[in-house]
Amino acid sequence: MSNNFLNIKSLSVKVDDKLIINNLSLSIGRGEVHAIMGPNGSGKSTLSNVLAGKDGYTIVNGAIDFSGEDLISLEPNERANKGIFLAFQYPVEIPGVTNINFIKTALESNRKYRGLEPIKPGEFLKLIKEKSKILGIPEDRLKRQLNVGFSGGEKKRNEALQLLMLEPSLAILDETDSGLDVDAFKIVADTINSTRNKDNSMLVITHYQRLLERIKPDIVHIFVDGSIVESGGPELANEVESDGYERFGDAK
Amino acid sequence: MQNNLISKNFNHSFLNSESLTEEREKAFLNLKTIGLPNKRVENWKYTDLTSITKGLEFKPGKVDIEILNKDLKGLVVADFEYFIKNKDQYSKPTNYLKDEGVVYLNLSYASDARVIEIRESQSEPIVIKITAKGPGVTFPRLKIDIFPNVEAEVCFVYNGGEGFVNQLTEIHLGKDSGLNLYRVNESSSIHSETFLSYLNLNANLSMVNLSMPKNKSRFQVYNIFLDKHSSTDFKSISIPSNSCHDDFLIQNNHISSNCESNVGMRAILDKGVICSFQALIDIESNILSSKAEQDCKAILLHKEASMNAKPEMKIFNDDVVCKHGTTIGSLDKDQIFYLKSRGLDKKSSENLLLKGIVKNYIPNNSLLNNFLPKAYQ
Ligand SMILES: Nc1ncnc2c1ncn2[C@@H]1O[C@H](COP(=O)(O)OP(=O)(O)O)[C@@H](O)[C@H]1O
Ligand SMILES: [Mg+2]
Repeated sequence: MSNNFLNIKSLSVKVDDKLIINNLSLSIGRGEVHAIMGPNGSGKSTLSNVLAGKDGYTIVNGAIDFSGEDLISLEPNERANKGIFLAFQYPVEIPGVTNINFIKTALESNRKYRGLEPIKPGEFLKLIKEKSKILGIPEDRLKRQLNVGFSGGEKKRNEALQLLMLEPSLAILDETDSGLDVDAFKIVADTINSTRNKDNSMLVITHYQRLLERIKPDIVHIFVDGSIVESGGPELANEVESDGYERFGDAK
Repeated sequence: MQNNLISKNFNHSFLNSESLTEEREKAFLNLKTIGLPNKRVENWKYTDLTSITKGLEFKPGKVDIEILNKDLKGLVVADFEYFIKNKDQYSKPTNYLKDEGVVYLNLSYASDARVIEIRESQSEPIVIKITAKGPGVTFPRLKIDIFPNVEAEVCFVYNGGEGFVNQLTEIHLGKDSGLNLYRVNESSSIHSETFLSYLNLNANLSMVNLSMPKNKSRFQVYNIFLDKHSSTDFKSISIPSNSCHDDFLIQNNHISSNCESNVGMRAILDKGVICSFQALIDIESNILSSKAEQDCKAILLHKEASMNAKPEMKIFNDDVVCKHGTTIGSLDKDQIFYLKSRGLDKKSSENLLLKGIVKNYIPNNSLLNNFLPKAYQ
């Protein structure tokens, strides 16, 4: 496909001399939703971090194209401003920085990069309150320090809130469903699903087929030992759910 | 004893008054025996006061002590006269600090003092500005007496000078009283302050210190828990000017049971800055149910910045809940990545994290917010 939005070609990544991503190729077109399922330790978060631009990874081979641009040479903030958003598996606590100020600063950075006027304070407030309400985030949590003392589920909801506010063109969800209780899970999944449109793509990393029932992927990839071993439709997710990853070469 | 601050005989001409001669002579004798602190004294290992004051001329300097809103109801303010009338109060700090040269130095020559009795709870903070002027040596003495059941806020602001300020500060906290104390140090003098708090039954002292010295500063705090269920909380943010020194010693003397002390130190250190932090916890064997915490976090912004941290616990029984931790280094890489991954550039991410560290102790609604550099407000 020539209109590919994200194009990962023969990517190999090492951490401390250990090969974590092994000759991975993956293409995601505009508006597509891809799911990745794979055993713990197979390198899913490593892939997310590499896409978002985290330091400490050595790219030993391959290339990543994003909207026709070489992604690897870009700083994480440039990637973010160009539309990449990673919902972290383990969001970081930032003491002393209030949640709402942080989200505002992030939104301002994005808008500035895109040549847009700063958002009016009243408008921002209205927007964030509206999105928080959809996600069931109480207003007082917006005034708290970013992720500090948040429960696992609260952190994940907060990641979803940032996603909704920043409206990325490529959202990478790294086990965003883990740590959410049943009700929160439904709200978060459905809300994220509602942001889908023909221009926005998603890479959804999950262990659970139930998430893929709400965010229906176009393609499911099975990820073992740092590369995709099989790709297919939703039936793959069903298979993993009932039989695990054994057939795909993982003994765990 | 080569230092000209003490090499001469007791210099009466240095004083404006002939008051408290006996007390002064006695203090001076002790000063001559003990000498000024130098780095061989364990508690002063990071500030060699003898050598940094060596070049100073021993001549009287000028310091203004101004109390804003001193006409508040329930406030009684006195000056040095108080000690002439209450001789027993003059040397009181030496009951607790028997071999501290800077205390004897202050007692030898102090002539500027303010004594503030806070007899009723206050709804607005009492601001005390201590401003040194020009060169010379000054010995300000402050004593604040919080009456039982009284709640108050006090703010000390230090500025100015080119010489040496050797201050002695005491806070008495009556039964069931509480004081929120703020301190801003922007002094351009060599500043040494010895601070003692005496806490009676169920008294609480909460202190937030914003330290931005423009010279070498030493702040030593001795909290003395005279009675049960008293508590202290000391939070300090250190942002010294380039090439300046900021040295702290905090000693919590748990001499009564059921007392609690917290010490938190944050330092943001730029080029040429040396910051030091000694935190001592002393809990005797017969003292029960104590709680003591201390933690220190320093961010080195420059390769020519350094932090010395030395926590020390002298705990002689098991009935204690005690925590301590120290981290010294650069900003957390995962935090920076998180912020960058949302679109903030490196500089903005670092600034936001530094601001977060400061805001954790000095939030926007704090009295100290206006004293912060713009970037942290
Ligand atoms: N910073 C790191 N340093 C060393 N090893 C790492 C680091 N990050 C990940 N790994 C290792 O890489 C492998 C893949 O980890 P990860 O990407 O987190 O897997 P997953 O998200 O699929 O559970 C694991 O073996 C993990 O221990
Ligand atoms: Mg993972």
